[in-house]
Amino acid sequence: MSEYIVEMKNITKRFPGVVANDDITIQIKKGEIYSILGENGAGKSTLMSMLFGMYEPDQGEIWIRGEKVNIKSPNQATKLNIGMVHQHFKLVRNYTVTENIILGIEPIKRYGGLFPYVNLNQAAKDIAKLSKRYGLEVDPNKKIEDINVSLQQRVEIIKMLYREAEILIFDEPTAVLTPQEVEFLLKIIEELRNGGKTIILITHKLEEVKKVADRCAILNKGRLVSVLDVKDTSTKTMANLMVGREVSFEVAKKPSTFGEVVLKVENLWIRNQDNFDIVKGVSFNIRKGEIFAIAGVSGNGQIEIADAIAGLRKISQGNIYLNGKNIKDLTIRDRIEMGISYIPEDRQDVGLILDFSLAENLSLKDYYKKPFNENGFLNRKVINDYGAQLIEKYDIRSGQGIKTQVRSMSGGNQQKAIIGREIELESSLMIFVQPTRGLDIGAIENIQKMILEERDKGKAILLISLELDEIMSISDTIGVIYNGEILKIQATQSLSINEVGEFMMGVKYDD
Amino acid sequence: MIRAKMNKAFLKIFGKEEWYLVTIPVFLILLSFIVAAIIIIFLGKNPFLAFYNLLQGSGLAPKPAYGGHKSMLTDFLSLLNYMTPMIFASLSVAIALKGGLFNIGVSGQMLFGGFFATILVGYSGLDWAIAKPLVLIVGIIGGAIIGGLIGLLKHKFNINEVVSSIMFNYIIQYVFSFFIHGYYIDPVSRQSKYISDASRLTLVNVQMFNLKMDLSIGFIIAIILAIAVKVFLDKSRLGFEIKAVGANHKGANYAGINVGRTRVLTMLISGAFAGLAGVTYYLGYFASIQPRVLPSMGFDAIAVALLGNLHSYGIIAASFIISIIDKGSTYMSSKAGVRQEIASVITALILLFSACSVYVQHKIQSKKDNLEYKARKEIK
Amino acid sequence: METIIIDGLSFGLPLFIMAIGGIYSERSGIINLAIEGLQGFGAFFGSLSIILVGHFFDIPLQKLFYLALLLSMFGGMLFSTLHGLLCIKFKANQVISGVVINILSMALTIFLTTQINSIVFGAMSDKFRIGTSNRFTIEFLAKIPIVGAAFKNIYPFQVVILIIAVFAAYVLNKTRFGLRLRACGDNPHSVDAAGVEVSRIQYLAVMISGALSGLGGISFAYSISTNFSPAIYMGYGYLAIAALIFGNWKVLPTFGACLLFGFARSGGYYIAQLLKMPSTFSDLIMILPYVLTLLLLIFFSKANHPPRALGEIYDKGKR
Repeated sequence: MSEYIVEMKNITKRFPGVVANDDITIQIKKGEIYSILGENGAGKSTLMSMLFGMYEPDQGEIWIRGEKVNIKSPNQATKLNIGMVHQHFKLVRNYTVTENIILGIEPIKRYGGLFPYVNLNQAAKDIAKLSKRYGLEVDPNKKIEDINVSLQQRVEIIKMLYREAEILIFDEPTAVLTPQEVEFLLKIIEELRNGGKTIILITHKLEEVKKVADRCAILNKGRLVSVLDVKDTSTKTMANLMVGREVSFEVAKKPSTFGEVVLKVENLWIRNQDNFDIVKGVSFNIRKGEIFAIAGVSGNGQIEIADAIAGLRKISQGNIYLNGKNIKDLTIRDRIEMGISYIPEDRQDVGLILDFSLAENLSLKDYYKKPFNENGFLNRKVINDYGAQLIEKYDIRSGQGIKTQVRSMSGGNQQKAIIGREIELESSLMIFVQPTRGLDIGAIENIQKMILEERDKGKAILLISLELDEIMSISDTIGVIYNGEILKIQATQSLSINEVGEFMMGVKYDD
Repeated sequence: MIRAKMNKAFLKIFGKEEWYLVTIPVFLILLSFIVAAIIIIFLGKNPFLAFYNLLQGSGLAPKPAYGGHKSMLTDFLSLLNYMTPMIFASLSVAIALKGGLFNIGVSGQMLFGGFFATILVGYSGLDWAIAKPLVLIVGIIGGAIIGGLIGLLKHKFNINEVVSSIMFNYIIQYVFSFFIHGYYIDPVSRQSKYISDASRLTLVNVQMFNLKMDLSIGFIIAIILAIAVKVFLDKSRLGFEIKAVGANHKGANYAGINVGRTRVLTMLISGAFAGLAGVTYYLGYFASIQPRVLPSMGFDAIAVALLGNLHSYGIIAASFIISIIDKGSTYMSSKAGVRQEIASVITALILLFSACSVYVQHKIQSKKDNLEYKARKEIK
Repeated sequence: METIIIDGLSFGLPLFIMAIGGIYSERSGIINLAIEGLQGFGAFFGSLSIILVGHFFDIPLQKLFYLALLLSMFGGMLFSTLHGLLCIKFKANQVISGVVINILSMALTIFLTTQINSIVFGAMSDKFRIGTSNRFTIEFLAKIPIVGAAFKNIYPFQVVILIIAVFAAYVLNKTRFGLRLRACGDNPHSVDAAGVEVSRIQYLAVMISGALSGLGGISFAYSISTNFSPAIYMGYGYLAIAALIFGNWKVLPTFGACLLFGFARSGGYYIAQLLKMPSTFSDLIMILPYVLTLLLLIFFSKANHPPRALGEIYDKGKR
């Protein structure tokens, strides 16, 4: 028996156009918390997906408990007692907790000894027992769509434990949680380790690694840079290795000077398709030169607020004033022309038309104006020249310049294209939703710098982000949303990250 | 080894990326004919003979004998006459698909336009100079009404356009059957009464070179409008909006395009083309309406549009090919003894393979990549 | 009144079994507009089989009734694999694939019917005569006022359909397979991560849908026309889809919708008879189910919830 429970030897995995993993070797001991650290796109998830059987490596070997294995499917991984909590949860939203957990290994009973059926009662009891044992309380009979993100994550963890997993992979588990929930999760992870489980923690957050991990492997651009003992290494060293250059954590931010109110949201109510109030009486103002951030756990109504201001979603009650004019009944295009720029959460499905060329996407909000459009016909030359100009100005990189199909571009460059287009609209209000999600540190720094520049030019900025660090470092004012209500609006400097976290979980202070 | 050679030869013909728009449809047609040939062999007939009969029947190869005032040329002109509504119908399908909508109601829209043009103009006794343009206008308006209605139902009530189109197809078919049977029936032919020659969009029995020819006026209009559609989709603002909604309606909405309105307009235009197909079919190629029957052309047009890559010139070429199959099949069935219905089987097969064209292209591409990869390795 | 119930049921039940097939396919995530073609091909296959068996073994066609049902289901299943292949393996647009299957089915069955008639039987016909089906009455239940009509003049296929429908509902809602199938329609990635092959479930779902459509098709052939002919393509497959949309992709409400269609149709004919309308008016009666469909769609389309992943081309690599 080898000292290592998991060994991945010389793993290489290629995707069309990229080498996601380049000759990576890692060895993980039983009962340790092993962290895989790297930026977005460094190849962490790909590596672990191969351990979980979602992909097969092009080259290299995987050894589990001293034996060479060929993991072709998640099913096989489960049989080897490997479990994984994916970054995007793999849950059936209209199923109960129980149904989700047993999916794939359903316990069976028979009617009259003849007709088999899924024994949900028994399963629910087993799950209740299991969740009590590990301190992961959750109601087995609730539907997934009715529970919050952190409970959904518990379901994913219980799913692994129900399958008697010994090797537990967590892919960016803290990305969607409040600081307090992160604390709790990390404690659970430590307890699981103390109970003899082996933990693999994929993350790009150094504090977490520092806090719980025993050892950590650092990946950069698909290559293994180093494997370190965490307690002997400084955060700074890890950060530099991860990014591949010296990084500074400081965002250069000038002191803010606020002007008059640009956006005034007054008692805003929004209903979802099921006639359920998802935003309940939200009011706030954003002034010139102010970055107003809405902090909150995903799914608490913040996206809906952004959509409502931009006109993508109907409101059931309330008023939205832009520069003093009520815009609640205007069309999307009218609002754009009145001065709203919008960088949406979903850049591929909403922000861009992937099958269109880069030039067409860059003039997606101008194509109908002169000189882009003359008498109902588009002037391709104007569109192309404008596109070329923006590509230059915002350093948008692509294979074939203006002619590139946007689908083929990297996420960072797609985002640059959207932000460039929206900045050029010169709107008085800019809405950024999750502007840096999934991007590498270079791109993140770049985009945060652009947001600050726009603020300094006197724009009003609404920032919606799930990255609390991002909100803390660039916003001027924070509004914390919980369950469709803004519980607190306060200047960023006067709030600590833990206070924000508590509001995000719905704790109300009396002050 | 032989396989590798065949692979190479295959890729040499079909693997040129810049020619995909042409080579892949050609490949699909070949595939369809191979399957059809297998069916024909299975029935104990000679497939090559049958396919040659198709060409003879559509005026592309000489028949052994011709009747009085007939020749290969008259057969060919008749092919163009038949092809005219096909082009319009396929453009109708293509425009809708560009806008992300599947207009499977082309047949019903054809009948709607054709019926009203027949009763309003065809029986009116108007002079040709008024009648002929009027027929076109009535057809356009008739088709556009139904198309627009389907678009409106989708926009206002979120009704899937495929289901509503099918419902309209049946409703139109039966309602007009009722009216034709009740008021416009020709008791001998069991079809609607013939329309006046002045209103017909095909000039019939034109005497030239001792031949009696059918000249389609609609054909010229079809070619002109096919080019116009291309310009419209490539260059116009509305064309841009239609394509944007079709490619990503969420993105289009976000960019400020009125998605609902654009969809209604798309269906309106698509319906107008279907109406044109209807009048060139019922008041051009034919001169009467068979009650209780929808023209299968509205469905064949889906094959043509997909085969032509939703591209105007592709559609003209594909219409030509599908028309040969349809038109030649009558002659083939009399000569080769293969039932005429094989024509629709071949068309359906082409349609079937066209539905997989993206996959075929992907496969050819990856085959090519593999081969290149291997070649590079060998050089090393 | 009685005829309305009797005819309504004999039309509504075949519609219902096709709709259940549609529910299977769509709840596994595959849009199935191919039901129209599948029922036609199934009916063709069943009719052709018993005609050939009857012809070569000299068996009266009436004795082959259950064989016809069975083989129609087999035929529908066979043809549905084509839809499965297109949607799952070839990743074709599912709407287009469905319509293509319908067109191919219509073309192929009409061609083969005429061709086989001329080769085997030397006849110029586009029909296979399969004879009528016996009907029976459950005497003691039929005596109940009004409702009793449901037990009068029953086609045997109605009983078969009801049994299969109950079984299908049980499989979909209670068994392991059903749980996994419904999960595919909501989030196929979760099924994949749970170690279950998504494409296998989807193939099975489409094939079940094909088999049930075939059963519906042959039932129409027995009840409406006593033969297989191109007239089988009356758009009933599309009505079944409309029914399952009103039924919100659930079995029981779909049953209600199918009965509504059935009674609307038989009711229309009844009224036409009552008013002694001339036969040409039958064309106007024919449109009733289609108009009803449109009206119902107008009222119900906004409120319903299709399976979340319906029509999505499942790609393992994407997350």
